[in-house]
This record gives sequence, structure tokens and C-alpha cells, in this order.
Amino acid sequence: MTAPVEIKHLFKTYTRRRWFGKNAEKAVLKDVSLTLAEDHVLGLVGESGCGKSTLCKVLLGIEKATSGLVKADGKDIAFLSKSGFKKLRRVMQVVYQDPYSSLDPRMNVRQLLSEPLDIHGLEKDPAARKAFLAELLASVGLSETQLERYPHEFSGGQRQRICIARALALDPKILVADEPVSALDVSVQAQILNLLKEIKKARRLSMLFVTHDFAVARFLCDDIAVMYQGRIVERAPAEDLFTNPQHPYTEALLAAVPSADASRRADGNGAEEASEHPDRAGWPCPFAPRCRYAQAVCAKTPFELKEVFPRHACACCVMPFKTAKSKSAV
Amino acid sequence: MLNGRIFKRIYTNKTSLAGLVIIAFFFLIALLAPVLAPVQNANNPYQLPQKSYQITPRPPSAESWFGTTEQQYDLYYGVVWGTRLAFKIGLTVTFFAFLIGLFVGGTAAYFGGKVDETLMRLTDIVFAVPSLVLAMVIAAMLGPDIKNMMIALTAVAWPSYARLVRGDILSVKQRDYVTAARTLGARGPRVLLRHILPNSIYPSVVVASLDIGYVVLTAASLSFLGLGAQPGTADWGQLIAMARNWVLGTPGHPFAYWYTVVAPGGAIFLFVLGWNLLGDAFRDILDPRQA
Repeated sequence: MTAPVEIKHLFKTYTRRRWFGKNAEKAVLKDVSLTLAEDHVLGLVGESGCGKSTLCKVLLGIEKATSGLVKADGKDIAFLSKSGFKKLRRVMQVVYQDPYSSLDPRMNVRQLLSEPLDIHGLEKDPAARKAFLAELLASVGLSETQLERYPHEFSGGQRQRICIARALALDPKILVADEPVSALDVSVQAQILNLLKEIKKARRLSMLFVTHDFAVARFLCDDIAVMYQGRIVERAPAEDLFTNPQHPYTEALLAAVPSADASRRADGNGAEEASEHPDRAGWPCPFAPRCRYAQAVCAKTPFELKEVFPRHACACCVMPFKTAKSKSAV
Repeated sequence: MLNGRIFKRIYTNKTSLAGLVIIAFFFLIALLAPVLAPVQNANNPYQLPQKSYQITPRPPSAESWFGTTEQQYDLYYGVVWGTRLAFKIGLTVTFFAFLIGLFVGGTAAYFGGKVDETLMRLTDIVFAVPSLVLAMVIAAMLGPDIKNMMIALTAVAWPSYARLVRGDILSVKQRDYVTAARTLGARGPRVLLRHILPNSIYPSVVVASLDIGYVVLTAASLSFLGLGAQPGTADWGQLIAMARNWVLGTPGHPFAYWYTVVAPGGAIFLFVLGWNLLGDAFRDILDPRQA
């Protein structure tokens, strides 16, 4: 059984061409390897600008990978023909971050939901189409009566429901969700998350869920990968990651999650100000300039994501030993 | 898009209703010109009938309702047939300027890079010259004639559309819904026709509707300067040009020959005003957020 999504040693570098002088290069993804297992939700967590969205874009074929292997539904997307890619669209769909900008303002709900069907030539019979749209809308908690309305007449949460319905119209097996709730109010976030969870269960979707919010990731994800500056620094089953974080960056992120429970608040957060250690900028570990556990050994050890517990990989050359010891002491 | 909602909006907004009424009124005049002012010269309906060769204009009378201008050209005939000419000039020039602008701006935005740079710098050069001066130069080079004047006007009007279309396409191209359409499997032509153009063309349509009035105004200026319609043509600018010697009246009576400018001047004023009001209405109507 091939995994729905398999990414190996993916690099992505943006090049800005200049009229004079050298072209400016910016590496956004560095040696990223990920596997999304069948019927699983893989969370991709990291701060803004760490390359999460770029990863989605590469996976969806919006951007081309600089090097590395990206397989979706068992097919290497770099070698797919146009029609091959079109077929893949039916298997892999996406929900975008901002429901205010991802719906064409000049199309009503009927047109928006019909578009994927028209493109792929599905449900051509008017009666079947009508029933299909009604069912689709009901499945995301909207009603058939809203078919003739335009996006601007809906709230953010409702718009995101339309976006989800649009993605589901093609009955995909893989859903890429690029921060689907971060543009929404907290109260609405919960509704959309519940909806996604429901749909995932009902349709047995495999989902790549991108977020910067650990609380959201914990609610929905089976596995979580933590990303920092274009690299995966830690990867583990969700509960493992929350109870036993290995990488200093993960620890810092978890400590930064606001908690109502005072006893759970950490006193230190593992991360220091970015300006603290600018001298460590050239080190192999991208987190070194902000890391409070950084040691001389970090400057020499090459960056490597290794398995420290079963299914739990971490890319810190200091932390695993420290935690493993403290764990054995408990 | 075309449904009752649009007309409802025009009716509820008083200024846009005024614009619509003015333009509809002019349109009727243009349409019924042969009925309102029977053609005198079958070869050229735009040739003004001349009652005699006397120089001094004559005030309105039962015979010529708006009076006559220098050399006894009939002002009523001029205003009526001038309306038809104004529509002809305004619509043709705006249409072609819009088309050229759409093509240039669309090409620049679609291909980007060096093509974009070249086309846009060319546009900037045309922009950098005052439009009336440039139109005068082109019209003077081609020779005074209505057709040449329209070419000159088109040549100065297209850059604003090119710039507008290019900018709008570039910004719409980046929108999430365009990416979303692509990830649904939509190919280039569908994305361009269904998503990019409908969302980027309307600002230009609004500008075009405002431009029709402006083009007629510039055409009148060119005619006034002797670079457009020839003397004796039923053209509003030409009618004012023929009133040049009479605008100031006689010593002690500054408004002695008021009728030589009031009719054609009023026509130009109302025509431009009408398009401006209607342009505002178009802007509101074409915005999908205003239901």
C-alpha cells in the first residue's frame, strides 16, 4: 500500500532575478521528508514564514520543487502530464487559509460549487447535479436555499464551509488544509474543526493539516511534524509530541500555548530572543541562535533528523539524551 | 449580471437616474436626427445648411429655432446632427482605445518580463506627453479631418486602459481564488476567461464610460482649434469655433450674440455631464459587493 503523500528530500529555493548583479536566492524548504499515512491526519506546525505554505504549494503543483521527490497518490508529480495532473486533482484537494479571498466574488454558490464538476465533467444531468449540490451543501452544514447567494453575503465561517464543500465536490481521498481556521474567530474555529473531523471520519480522508496553532493540531492530528526555517525539526505521533517534546523548538512552542491551567505553565520557554546569539547564525542547526540548550557540539554536528523513540524523530543533537535521562529517572 | 437589480439601482440613485435620462435623451436625438432636422445635402448629412452668405449671426426665430451662426449656418441642425457625430466619435474612439489598451495591457501582464517592460515604457512615453498636445500633433500631421481626429484621439486614449488592465490583471492573478481554480484542475483559458478577466475588466469599463464624455470634449477642442471637423460640419466643437468672433458680443453688449455658443456649448456640457453621472452609476452596479 503506497502512502497518499510521500515527500523525500524536498528542496525549494526561490530565485529573484535582478537586472544587475547576482540573482538573490532564498532557500525556503531544506531537505524535507514527510509521509502522510492512509486515513491519517498529519499536522504540519511551525511559525509564520517557516515554509509550511510553500510545502503545500509544491505538493499541489502551484510551485515547482527545486529538487527532491514528491509523490501524491503514488505518482511522482514532477513527471505527471497535464491530464495526469488533472486526474490527480480529483484525488487531492485543498482548503485555503483565507475564505475571504479564495472564493471568486463574482460567482454565486451554485457557480462556485459547479465549477469543479464542470471542469471534470461530472454530474452533467441537471437533476442529478441539483441533488448532488443539495447533498454537498448539507454535508458542510449549509442549506440548498443559499445556492444563489454571493460570497460577500456570508460570514467567514460559512465561506470556509463553502470552500470545504468545493474541495469535497470532487470526492477526493487526500485533503490539504492550509491553515483553514487561522483566519476565523475562535468560536467559529471550533465549528470548522469539528466539521473537518466529521468529514475526515465519514469520508476516510487522509489529510495534511497545516497550522501554527498547537491546540488546533492536537484536536485534529494523528501525527505532527514541527517545522522551523524550512526544516523538519521533530516528527512524532500527536500525543507523544505533546507529552514528551524532544526538540527545544517544540518545547518553546508548547510553552507558548496559552493555558488556563496555572500549574501547566512552564517557567522558561526554551527560546531566547533572536538577537541573543547572532554568532551562532552559521551553525548547522537553524534554531541555534535562539536555543538555550545550544552547546559547542551543536556547531560541529551536522543537521540530521533521527529517530529517538519508535516513530518519534528529532533533529537536536543535545536534547534527546537529556530527556531520555530525565525520563529514565522518573 | 444583467438583471432587474441593475435597473433598480439606477432608479433608486437620483444622480445616476439623471445621467441615464440625459444620455437616453441624446441617444433619441441622434437616432431621430433625420426626422428632427431633415437632411439638406443628401451626399453628406453632416453638412450644415446655409441660409445665405451674410456674416452676422441671427437670433433664434421661427425659421431657425436656435438661431444661426456666422455665415448663416443653422444652429438647430448643427446641434441635432452634432449629437449623432458626438456619439459616433465618443463610442468609436473609446471602443478602439479600450481594445488597444486591453490588448497591450493584457499582453504585458500575461507574458511579463521584458515584454511587460517594453510595452509599459512605451505606454509611459505616450503618457508623458500632454494628451491634447499629442492629439494636436497627430491630427495636424494627418491633416484636418474627422477620421484623422478620431485616430489622434484613440492614439492618446489607449495608454490609460493599458495601464489599468495590466495592473488589474496582475493583482487578480495573485488572488487566492485564481490559485484555487487552478488547483481544481482549471486550465489557462478557463482561468483567464472565467476568473481573471471578469474580475479585472470592470474598472476599465467604468473608466471607458467616463471617457466617452471626455473624448467628445477633446474632439470639440480639436475642432475648435481647426484640427478636426471642417467649417460647415455639424460638429459641436466646430459650431463653437464658428462663434469665435462673436463670443465677446459688441462693445457695451457682451451677450449680443449669446445664441451662437449657448446651444452647442450646452449640448457639450450636458453630454459630458451625462456620461460622468452614468459612469458613477456603472461603478456602483459593477461592484458585486453592492447588491
